[in-house]
Amino acid sequence: MTRRMLVALSLAGTALVTVAALLVLFAHDFQPFGPAEKLAQVGTNAVWIFAGLVAWTRRPGNRVGALMVAVGVTDLLQQLYWDAALPFTVAQVLAFASTPVTAQLFMAFPSGRLTGRAERWYVASAYLLVLVLSPINALFWDWQRTECPTCPPNLLLVTSDPQFWEPWSIAGDVILVGLLGTGVALLVRRLRRATVATRRAFAPVLVTATLASLGLCVVLAMDAAGMKTEDSVALWIADVLYAAVPLAFLVGLLRMRWRRAVVADLVLELGSASGPTNARDAIARALRDPSLEVAYWLPEGERFVDSAGHPVAVEETPSRAVSMLEHDSERVAALLHDPSLRDDARLLDAVCAAATLALENVRLQADLRAQLAEVRASRARIVAAGDAERRRLERDLHDGAQQRLLGIRLALQLARSRVPGDALEGTESLLADADAEVVAALAELRSLARGIHPAILTEEGLAPALEALARRAPLPVALHACGERLPPAVEATSYFVAAEALANCVKHAHARNATINVARRNGRVVIDIVDDGCGGADPRGHGLNGLRDRVESQDGSLVVESSPGVGTLVRAEIPCA
Amino acid sequence: MAWTVLIVDDHAGFRGFAKRLLEAGGFTVVGEAADGASGLAAAEALRPAVVLLDVLLPDIDGFAIAERLAEQAGRPVVVLTSSRERSDFGSRLDASAATGFIPKHDLSTAALAEMAGVGR
Repeated sequence: MTRRMLVALSLAGTALVTVAALLVLFAHDFQPFGPAEKLAQVGTNAVWIFAGLVAWTRRPGNRVGALMVAVGVTDLLQQLYWDAALPFTVAQVLAFASTPVTAQLFMAFPSGRLTGRAERWYVASAYLLVLVLSPINALFWDWQRTECPTCPPNLLLVTSDPQFWEPWSIAGDVILVGLLGTGVALLVRRLRRATVATRRAFAPVLVTATLASLGLCVVLAMDAAGMKTEDSVALWIADVLYAAVPLAFLVGLLRMRWRRAVVADLVLELGSASGPTNARDAIARALRDPSLEVAYWLPEGERFVDSAGHPVAVEETPSRAVSMLEHDSERVAALLHDPSLRDDARLLDAVCAAATLALENVRLQADLRAQLAEVRASRARIVAAGDAERRRLERDLHDGAQQRLLGIRLALQLARSRVPGDALEGTESLLADADAEVVAALAELRSLARGIHPAILTEEGLAPALEALARRAPLPVALHACGERLPPAVEATSYFVAAEALANCVKHAHARNATINVARRNGRVVIDIVDDGCGGADPRGHGLNGLRDRVESQDGSLVVESSPGVGTLVRAEIPCA
Repeated sequence: MAWTVLIVDDHAGFRGFAKRLLEAGGFTVVGEAADGASGLAAAEALRPAVVLLDVLLPDIDGFAIAERLAEQAGRPVVVLTSSRERSDFGSRLDASAATGFIPKHDLSTAALAEMAGVGR
C-alpha cells in the first residue's frame, strides 16, 4: 500500500467513523445503551479500523491489517439502527456480520493465511451460517412484537407467528454458542501446535481478549444482579479493554518483525559459520526447533547424509516435515523439522532461502578448495616431470653424442700420432684443426648439458652444485651453504634460481661481486643472491617470472629487490620440512 | 717397461678407441670391463698396473670401486675418468681413493703415463 493510499484510506476511515458516530448517536434506541456507551462502541470500531490501517501499511503482504479494518467496518455497520424501515432492516440482517470476519482474523493471525484444514472449514462455516442464516432468520423475526415496539418495521417479515420464530431464535443462539466454542477449541489447538514465534505474536491478543471477556462477564453479572451498569466503572473498563484488542493484534503483528531480524541474524551467522554443526545450530536457533536436522545431498551417491556422512532417511512423517533446499533446481540439502513450523510459512521460506545460499556457499568453497589443491598438486607434478625430463636429456647427451665425440677425439689423436713425417703436406694440421673443433664441440655440449640439468646437482646435492656454479662464474662469488641434502625438487628450484640470478648479475647488472646464501629457517629454505651491480631489474621480466612460477609451484615465494644503483637481491623461500 | 692397463667403462666405443690409443702409446691393455662388478673381478684376475676407471658406471659408482681396488692385493694405480669436468664432481674427487682424474676429452697416453708414474 502506498503512502497516498494510506492517506486516502485514513481520510475515508475518519469520515466513516465520524458519520457512523453521528448516525449511531441519533439512531433508534434499539439497544438500551446511552450515548456514551454508543460512542464507546464506535470508538472501539475506530481503533479496529485505524490499527488495521497501520498494520496494513507496516505489513502490506499480510492480510491481518485488511481483516482488522473489515472487523471494524462490519461491526460499525451493525450498529446503524437508523430510524427508517429499510436501514433498520439492513442493520438487523447484518447484525452478526463481524462474527465470521473476527473468526477469520483469529484463525489466520499472525500470518494472515489459513493454514490448517480445520481452520479453513471453520471460517467458511462461520461465513455461511451468518450470511445465509441471518436473512432467513429475518423472515420470521418480528422485533416490533418481541423486543422493540417503537422500532421501524421489519421489511423482510413473512410471518410473526412465534411458532416459526422461536425455533429460529433458539437455533441462532445455539449456532452462535457453537461457533464460539468451536473457535476457542480450534484456537487452543492451534496455539498448542504453534511455533514460539506465533505464540509470541498471539500473547498480547490473548491477554487483552481474556481480560476484556472477564470485564464483560463482570458487567453481565452486575446486570443479572439488577445493578445499574450504564456509566459504571466496570463498563468503562470493559470498553477500554475491548478497544485494546485491536491494538494487541497490531502489537502482536509488529512483534513478528523480529522474525525478519532472525533471518538477517541467520544470514550473518551462516556467513561466519565454519562447519556443518555450526550451520545446523544456527538454523535450529532461527527456527526455534531444537530437533532440526540438516541432511546434505550427495549428488554422486544420490542420497542424503548427515554432517558425519551417515545416510539419513528423508521422508515426511506425521511428526516430521521435510523442506527441500534447492539452488538452480539442484538439490543442496534438506531440513527435517517440526511440522508446526509450516504455520510460519514465511519464516520457514526465508530461513530455507538463507540456509540454501549458505550451504551452497559451503559446498562451492569446498569444491574450490579441492580444485585449488588439485591445481597446486598438478603444477608441482608438471615441474617434477619437467625436472625428470631434463635429467633424462642430460643423461642422453652424456651417453650419446658426447661419447661419440669423445671417441672421435681419441681416434683423431691416434691418427695424428700415426701420421708419418713424410705425409701429404697439411694432413697433420688438418687433423689438429679437426681435433680442436671436436674439443670445442665437446665443451659446448658439456655446457649445454649442465644448463639442462647439472649432473652434480643430482649426484652431489645443492651445495656442491652451487660451488661448481660459483667457480665457473666470470665474477667472484662468495657462497655460504650448508651441505645437507634436500628434496630433489627443492634442490633443483634453488639451483635454477641461483643460476638465473647469477646469469642476470653478469648479463644485465654488470656486477663486480656476488654472494649466494642458502639457509634453513622455520621449515623453509631461504636462498639469497645479492650483487653489487647497477640494479633496476624488472621483477616481472621473463626470466624472473619463470623462476617465480617455479618457486610458487612448490608453495614458495620469490622476492626481487632491485633499486637502481644499489644492486639486486633475489630471494626465494621454499617450504622444506 | 710397459704399463698394463685395465679399462672399465660402459661405453664400448670409447673402450675401443682408448685401447687403440693407449696401445699405440706403449701401454699394454690387458682387459676391458663394461661395469663395476666385472671391473673388480678383472682387476683381481689380471692384476693390471693401472685401472682407467669411468666415474659413472651402470652398477657401482667409480669412487666406490676405487676404494675397493685400493684394498686389493695388487693395489693398482686408479685413474678416474669421465666425460664431465672436474668441477662437476666438486670435492668428491679430492676425497677419493683414486690417484687422479683425467677428463675423457683430455685423455692421452702422456697424461696417463704421468699419473701412473706418480702412482707408483
